[in-house]
Amino acid sequence: MSEPLVAVHNLVAHYGDTLILDNVSCQVEPGEIFVIVGGSGCGKTTLLRHMCGLHGATSGSIIYRDQDITQLDEDALARLQRTIGIAFQSSGLFNSMTVGDNVALPIREYGDVDERLIDAIVRMKLSFVGLGDSGHLMPSELSGGMRKRAGLARAIALDPPLVYFDEPSAGLDPIMAAGLDELILDMRDLLGITFVIVTHELDSIRKVADRILMLDRGKALFTGTVKEAENSDVERVKQLFERRPDEFIAQRNV
Amino acid sequence: MSEKPLQAPATLDQKSGRSLWESLTQRSVEQGSTVVIAFDETEKMDSLGGAWLVKIAEHLHKSGSSLKLEGQQGSVAELLEMVAPALQKPVRKQGAEAGFFENLGDTTLAFIAESRDFLELCVDAIYWSVIAPFEGRGFRWEIFIDEMYEMGVRAIKIVCLMNFLLGLIIAMLMAKQAESYGISIFVADIIMIGFARELAAIMTAVVVSARTGAAIAAEIATMKVQEEIDALRGMGLNVNQFLVAPKLMALLVVLPCLVTLGVLSGIAGGSVWGIGVLGFQPSVWFTQTLNSAFLEDLAQGFLKTIIFALGIVLIGCHNGFRVSGGSRGVGLMTTRAVVMDIFMLISCDIVFAAIFYYVLG
Repeated sequence: MSEPLVAVHNLVAHYGDTLILDNVSCQVEPGEIFVIVGGSGCGKTTLLRHMCGLHGATSGSIIYRDQDITQLDEDALARLQRTIGIAFQSSGLFNSMTVGDNVALPIREYGDVDERLIDAIVRMKLSFVGLGDSGHLMPSELSGGMRKRAGLARAIALDPPLVYFDEPSAGLDPIMAAGLDELILDMRDLLGITFVIVTHELDSIRKVADRILMLDRGKALFTGTVKEAENSDVERVKQLFERRPDEFIAQRNV
Repeated sequence: MSEKPLQAPATLDQKSGRSLWESLTQRSVEQGSTVVIAFDETEKMDSLGGAWLVKIAEHLHKSGSSLKLEGQQGSVAELLEMVAPALQKPVRKQGAEAGFFENLGDTTLAFIAESRDFLELCVDAIYWSVIAPFEGRGFRWEIFIDEMYEMGVRAIKIVCLMNFLLGLIIAMLMAKQAESYGISIFVADIIMIGFARELAAIMTAVVVSARTGAAIAAEIATMKVQEEIDALRGMGLNVNQFLVAPKLMALLVVLPCLVTLGVLSGIAGGSVWGIGVLGFQPSVWFTQTLNSAFLEDLAQGFLKTIIFALGIVLIGCHNGFRVSGGSRGVGLMTTRAVVMDIFMLISCDIVFAAIFYYVLG
């Protein structure tokens, strides 16, 4: 078995006094699409943000490229983050720049490429996500789905081996969501990008996930393939895949 | 149509892509021809190699010719399929360049449209602040009280400090001039008259427009960007009644109060110099100050505050409602509100000066 690309060991995280992640461990293999699932507020996005190095952990470690992200100083972390693409839930595009400039920003800052090539790279990355002719538009002129795709184009601007994608299909129509799933699969197959995706859309999970990690109230309940999850004995996992509600919606108010 | 086959390298990456591009740009390509690149020997390519292909396609489009790829296999073919949309000719609608008169016309129309919006806002805001409450259509008292606290009470310290310092500066400036004529005591008169008529009102209004005017514009702009304004409309609530009227009434109440404190602080600042440095007895200095205090001077100052208060709130709200785009738009509109506020203050002050000192005086 190959060395994992990212390994999370016993991660504990708090927001203030509130425990968000309780001893979570998981491993992301190179070239796979690893999906973090769970109900709202279970800590999915928090885990993702820790894996990107955007938050410091209370305890535990996150090993990526033989380095523990939780222990790195600012410069070393920034260097490591340049090898990661992050696509945010609300796209995170800079409103003051055109879509093309948004994608060009990381290339101009860190990309070791011929200056003459930047426009062509931007156009190519944007056309990967179906926005080849939208580079001159401002983010505020894009629809929600287009913004999300532009965010993904920016995330892959530096050809990162690893892309974190927070809620790719949230707020999108089913056709657009399915298109985005296809795009993720294509990028994995053709560009060899490893994806770590946070979502709770069952259709998406079934379509793209190689392995899933299910979180519930900050604890890792299950890790395995979608098939294993669907046949799992763990009640909460079964409930998620069968779309069964809690007996009282109030149970969710933890 | 002539075809000129070009052999792609075994590995198409940044380096080999650049040589391919250079070799193509060095040859002359006939207009309307198709350049063929053969990929049958290419086994590997990366995205930077793909970007050079995009560059080649752009170059060919510019010279009126086109690009054709052939012989690609396996993963190279799949990656080329992904790159293919970027190799198409860019479709960008470009309007004709606008001329001087078109620009002038656009600017004039935009100015008229903005003035109409502003006028509508003024009428609506005044109706919901002054008339609607008497017609039993409601007024949001809780927000009015909160706004008075925010705009008034929390601004007291900075308003007093600024006016105090201005009083001190004016006293220092005038004392130097008056001393040579032996009429230093008249500095007390100048401070009193200056602050009552002009300085307290304008200084306080500048501080309030930078504080409150900017806050109003930023708050409303953010609400607009986050669809809160649409949510209010969707609930059938009147935005002017809900947001603008309480702010307008609050500033109409608190600005004269702040200006009163401003006058007192200015006088205090002046007296520090008069008593502390010029060496007048406090009783002499304050008697002189009181002797030069006239109701009509104070009334001039307070009349301005009403116009200033209306201007600051309405300009803030107007710019907030006009926002477009996201965070950048909020920043731009906030800046615009403060600049317009200060311009409005100075322009109104000129009009008042002309009326009070030349038309009436």
